[in-house]
Amino acid sequence: MQRFTPARRLLSEFKCSLRRQRRCFSQVAPNVVDNNDGFGPKIPSFDYSPPPYTGPSADEILSKRKEYLSPAMFTLYSKPLNIVDGRMQYLFDDKGRRYLDAFGGIATVCCGHCHPDVVEAIVNQTKRLQHSTILYLNHAIADFAEALANKLPGNLKVVFFTNSGTEANELAMMIARLYTGCHDIISVRNAYHGNASGTMGATAQSIWKFNVIQSGVHHAVNPDPYRGVFGSDGEKYARDVEDLIQFGTSGNIAGFISEAIQGVGGIIELAPGYLPAVYSTIKKAGGLCIADEVQAGFARTGSLFWGFENHGVVPDIVTMAKGIGNGIPLGAVVTTPEIAAVLTRRSYFNTFGGNPVCTTAGLAVLKVIEKEKLQENAFVVGTYLKERLTALKDKYELIGDVRGRGLMLGVELVSDEKLKTPAKLETLHIMDQMKEMGVLVGKGGFYGNVFRITPPLCFTKEDADFLVDAMDHIIARM
Amino acid sequence: MAMLQRRILKSTLEEAKARFNFNCYPLLPPCASFSTLPSSSTTATAHDDVPPQLPPFDYQPKPYNGPSADEILAKRKRFLGPSLFYYYQKPLNIVEGKMQYLYDESGRRYLDAFAGIVTVSCGHCHPEILNAIVEQSKLLQHATTIYLHHAIADFAEALASKMPGNLKVVYFVNSGSEANELAMLMARLYTGSLGMISLRNAYHGGSSSTIGLTALNTWKYPIPEGEIHHVMNPDPFRGVFGSDATRYAKEVQDHIEYGTSGKVAGFIAETIQGVGGAVELAPGYLKQVYDIVRKAGGVCIADEVQTGFGRTGSHYWGFETQGVIPDIVTMAKGIGNGLPLGAVVTTPEIASVMAQKIQFNTFGGNPVCSAGGLAVLRVIDREKRQAHCADVGSHLIGRLRSLQDKHDIIGDVRGRGLMVGIELVTDRKEKTPAKAETAILFEKMRELGVLVGKGGLHGNVFRIKPPMCFSKDDADFLVDALDYAMSKL
Repeated sequence: MQRFTPARRLLSEFKCSLRRQRRCFSQVAPNVVDNNDGFGPKIPSFDYSPPPYTGPSADEILSKRKEYLSPAMFTLYSKPLNIVDGRMQYLFDDKGRRYLDAFGGIATVCCGHCHPDVVEAIVNQTKRLQHSTILYLNHAIADFAEALANKLPGNLKVVFFTNSGTEANELAMMIARLYTGCHDIISVRNAYHGNASGTMGATAQSIWKFNVIQSGVHHAVNPDPYRGVFGSDGEKYARDVEDLIQFGTSGNIAGFISEAIQGVGGIIELAPGYLPAVYSTIKKAGGLCIADEVQAGFARTGSLFWGFENHGVVPDIVTMAKGIGNGIPLGAVVTTPEIAAVLTRRSYFNTFGGNPVCTTAGLAVLKVIEKEKLQENAFVVGTYLKERLTALKDKYELIGDVRGRGLMLGVELVSDEKLKTPAKLETLHIMDQMKEMGVLVGKGGFYGNVFRITPPLCFTKEDADFLVDAMDHIIARM
Repeated sequence: MAMLQRRILKSTLEEAKARFNFNCYPLLPPCASFSTLPSSSTTATAHDDVPPQLPPFDYQPKPYNGPSADEILAKRKRFLGPSLFYYYQKPLNIVEGKMQYLYDESGRRYLDAFAGIVTVSCGHCHPEILNAIVEQSKLLQHATTIYLHHAIADFAEALASKMPGNLKVVYFVNSGSEANELAMLMARLYTGSLGMISLRNAYHGGSSSTIGLTALNTWKYPIPEGEIHHVMNPDPFRGVFGSDATRYAKEVQDHIEYGTSGKVAGFIAETIQGVGGAVELAPGYLKQVYDIVRKAGGVCIADEVQTGFGRTGSHYWGFETQGVIPDIVTMAKGIGNGLPLGAVVTTPEIASVMAQKIQFNTFGGNPVCSAGGLAVLRVIDREKRQAHCADVGSHLIGRLRSLQDKHDIIGDVRGRGLMVGIELVTDRKEKTPAKAETAILFEKMRELGVLVGKGGLHGNVFRIKPPMCFSKDDADFLVDALDYAMSKL
């Protein structure tokens, strides 16, 4: 597949110049969107036809969900999408219609849906041995742990396997508390780290926090370049962490946890200079630095393999999940041998963690990322996409900010550029329309007004063009 | 802790060697022939110097060309941390599995009497489940519940249909720990109270919160737990009240009346404690305790991570053996025959409190695990695994009880269906745990071709919880092997 077509770019630039006069305003206009076979951008071609779908319809599924699943379980879109098949960066609904997956199952499918190498590895291992636990030896866990450790800097080379990001962060927090003998942990406002008791404390958005005891966590001012009071001055924000420690704790803490680019929080890249300053403060207070790489890890940021590397720091503990297995339930915590030893005081055991199938899949993912140069692709295509989105921002006042790195990008919509009033309704509307045009994006941010674009890393420039053109097309008609 | 355990093991082994004149135990011939000899296990008595033979099995494992046990162990030590322990002095490199058997790197077959810790419920690489997983993996591994997909809905429906009462709202997670975490959250939100009650000797998870519910010091790190009360274990074998459920239940009443505000969030228990050594709660206990807890405004949580899915033989769910209906049921392990999957089932009423905020699980309910889970339910029903567990289980327990008459070291045989425990003691009156002997026999069983589990606070209980396709021949082989090994002690 072509990743760059000069002719197409010229054509889209031409189209842009024709529409340059149109601006969008904050009222939600009635829905008049062309179909894929009318006017408007077309999804790039793709040589794959899903098998015909003969399963339950969307309505049948919805009614079963209402009856048997959580009442709080939500779907995107006014008319929920029944996704039955996936291939690389595309998803297919029950009618066989193809969509560009610009969300990646929430930054999870990194190699591509049903990537042949990964599927082969999974299938072969499943046929041999699904599960035995680490009570017995098996090479898969050892080989994957080694390969994973080799991707990390410093002395980060002891791996613990879990089944999710929440489990990984919970374990990281427990390790930090045990290692230091302290309880206080600092996380950043607007962060998301999980939904179990410790991680719910570290998570810092009220919508995800239930009214239960979440002890020992302090939330620092978010070094948010777009909305934060200190703009992009990372060091000024870092002083808040110092204050939290000096005034809110005994002076010694267990640790600090953050994402390099906040995912759920709306693709907010921490202000430059923040992490190095904070890490230094934390170390002085005897604490450990935990880097949550659940979304930013595994080549997604393009420039470097891990999100934290973009900030020039080396954490003490790294947690990962989501992209680590291209969608298979898997998480991991990597730390130093010295810190890892703290768990030998008692027994920590994870029944499913490190099972042969998931670790085989994880190893296959690392190999695909390398073989197909997905990190480089994330950089090239991500940079291109960000440029095009930034051009779109210049065109429409509705777009308040375009940010992110590699293929972890965010587009924040505001109804007033100065006041930065979140344009929640418009976001919903555009998201729905994008789906009608064949593009699936994600949503995030505290106000729900940020598009999250975190596709499989095999995303191409043509896909990027399609996404931006679709957005352009929709906003122009609002 | 692993290093400490190994040191203890080494010294107790040496001690035992000296005590029991170990050297007369004959060395076994190389293993390859074991798996092909016809079954003659029931006829040979343990006093013959011919060890019992594995039942025959018509399957050839694939040739193994991967890293050796030593290479793997070296990598584990380097990249997986010192806290990752393993079984056996010379750890076993398991490379393949089929139904109730496992194969090591040399192709030797073993009877898997532990099922990856009560997890492989239908059998390793069971064809129907394998097919469901493979087919779904080719279509769609993951998209999350923000889109619709039929697999999660169908599986939730099927699971709910197995539940009594109004238990029909399903939450999918990825492990037993996650399930119990969620159950605790629900209990606290629903009741507005904080206090949780769990049993001493229980195991409910290894995450920082479930460690609070877990009540075995081996697994408890020194971290704050919040308000959790560990009540006296209604243990018929070691408990001070024997099988008198009423007196144990009064303990719970006392905890509530003296140790809490009078109101609690909930009570959680396994019906047959797994990690704790297959301890079945004294009959009638749960009925009384559920009453007490509900009067104190609390909810009752049944941890079915090990006892669920027909394993007890007499009933589908462990809690049914005590004649109760919980408010929340948690499950994992056997639910997916080894897939990373867990679930919480509760009533619509309790589930509604979770709607106050957003609770989302990225991997939970993914198409592949849901398809696998649904296949598991179908296999259990179609192959009548529950009845099979009752049948083979009672045969196994019967034979073990006869063995108990023969060997003083067997202090107790307990359990139900294919969830069985054998507790070893050096003194039947004192019930002194026979830790060293258990360790030796554990190794011996492996040499004979049987992989069992170990449990109990003192590590002196054999846990027999095989894949539910375990046969009577397998049971005979296991008992004969145990008999043989014990006679040689």
